[in-house]
Amino acid sequence: MTLLQAEHITCGYGGAPVIEDISLSVGQGERLCVLGPNGCGKTTLLRALAGLLPYEGTVTLCGTDGKSLSRRETARRVGLMSQLAPVYFAYTVYETVSMGRYARRRGPLDRDGEAGRQAVRESLERTGLWPLRDRLITELSGGQLQRVFLARTFAQDPAVILLDEPTNHLDLKYQAELTDSLRSWSEQGGRAVVGVFHDLSLALSFADRALLLEGRHALFQGPPEALDRALLDRVYGLDVAGYLRKLLARWQ
Amino acid sequence: MTLLALAALGSILLGVAAGSVYIPPGDILAILASRLFGTDLPERVGTVYPAMVMGLRLPRVLLAFVTGGALAVCGTVMQSVLQNPLASPFSLGVSSGAGLGAAVVIVTGLAAGAGHVLALPAVSLAFALGTVFFVLWAAGRIDRGLGSVTIVLIGMVVSLFFNALMNLLAALSPAYAQRINLWLLGSFSMREWPALWVLLAVTAAGLCLFLRCAPELDVMTFGEEQARSLGVDLRRCKTLLICAVAVLTGTAVAFVGIIGFVDLIAPHVVRRFFGASHRKILPASALFGGAFLTLCDLAARTLTPPREIPIGSITALLGAPFFLYVYFSGRRRERRS
Repeated sequence: MTLLQAEHITCGYGGAPVIEDISLSVGQGERLCVLGPNGCGKTTLLRALAGLLPYEGTVTLCGTDGKSLSRRETARRVGLMSQLAPVYFAYTVYETVSMGRYARRRGPLDRDGEAGRQAVRESLERTGLWPLRDRLITELSGGQLQRVFLARTFAQDPAVILLDEPTNHLDLKYQAELTDSLRSWSEQGGRAVVGVFHDLSLALSFADRALLLEGRHALFQGPPEALDRALLDRVYGLDVAGYLRKLLARWQ
Repeated sequence: MTLLALAALGSILLGVAAGSVYIPPGDILAILASRLFGTDLPERVGTVYPAMVMGLRLPRVLLAFVTGGALAVCGTVMQSVLQNPLASPFSLGVSSGAGLGAAVVIVTGLAAGAGHVLALPAVSLAFALGTVFFVLWAAGRIDRGLGSVTIVLIGMVVSLFFNALMNLLAALSPAYAQRINLWLLGSFSMREWPALWVLLAVTAAGLCLFLRCAPELDVMTFGEEQARSLGVDLRRCKTLLICAVAVLTGTAVAFVGIIGFVDLIAPHVVRRFFGASHRKILPASALFGGAFLTLCDLAARTLTPPREIPIGSITALLGAPFFLYVYFSGRRRERRS
């Protein structure tokens, strides 16, 4: 089943469009990575898909037109994990992750029931944060904070998770763990992930489909194996495979 | 929290007891009991104390307490809504709007003679609300998403402009300049029960609304994008909360003048002890702000008898060192652990 389908999305911040005529779709268990050099509109695309920016075109979320959904209904279908932003207020890790349940509560006085608390606990365990649940988020490292926000997105329990550079600030170990937990989350739950990663090798090994953007347009969409190297070199302005191999040579 | 509630009650009792004539707390309780439950007054109390307690001290102390609570709660809400630890209701131009309104009333003589006693509070409340709605409207015109930075910037610009108008008014009519200045510094003297009931009702309603919005407030502290992607209808929620803050602060300011600092420090002090969750810090900051302002008012009227020190300068005089102490002792403890 298609969970998220975007058709002819054009979007910007008032002036000239930042992305133009982009279509994509992800179904159950699928992982799509969005690739492209800095400033090609990857974050803008994610924000449009999450309904955070006005756009032209249509986004269909679990069979419903995104424009007809309230914020709360949207948040039950799609969760966006943004790039790391500073935190000013000293919530505990547990409190922060519980906020993911906001859209699942029925009204202002509805507290999280057994199912809600269970979801929060599972999200904390999945990200290895259960032992840290009483720590204050203002005292965490950038990488720990990144995991807290991922756990909060898990607790939100959307059909599609959109990720904006989730592995920034993460040690290699946590990069690996994060991509593993996202993979199992999408496969077991029949859910989808759309992610922007700045690490090309990580992106292509994580995703089963890739979308390559250049100068507001989509250049390629399909399985990573089918991605033409010459195209990649042209977009990034560099012999990508050669460069990565040179980096790898150090370990052989 | 129980401790804080007890401290708040204690501050009220102390506020009523102390003054030019000391009234023993036991007598105060006896007077209150006789008024509320019809019990007999012990003979030693006499007839002067009941009149002093019920007619002068109690309304004044309670007004100080409720004002402090209202301002502190509004400060907490504004800091979260604007994700800015330095924000306060006054960043929206509430105080300058109210000040301009009061200056207009004082200069045109609406309050004296022909006008009603409530003319000044009513006009300054109207000006305060008008200012906030103008700031919100202008911010919405420039930035459809009603971004926090836009609101703060426009609030500041409008504040400065209205302050300038008010100063102009004061400078052009020197006869009234002193009255305007005194009003600006705030005072709890000469306030009666009706003012208290109005403010108490508005504050209670405001606190209920804010508590109901506690989950939204929690989420909003993480910034606009995160709040929206977690499912909060940010524009609607922000407008509602800011309007409620405007009504609450506007009412408080209209009755007692501009009293700064409580709104800024109370949330910070309370967060040091109770964490960040709004379900806890909203009631806690109401209690703390109330107790703090009651004690400030006590200091204002007892330190230099028979003259009163303006309450606005006391809050900063006592508050600034206290705030630094709480803030930095907390810091040190954290670093050690």
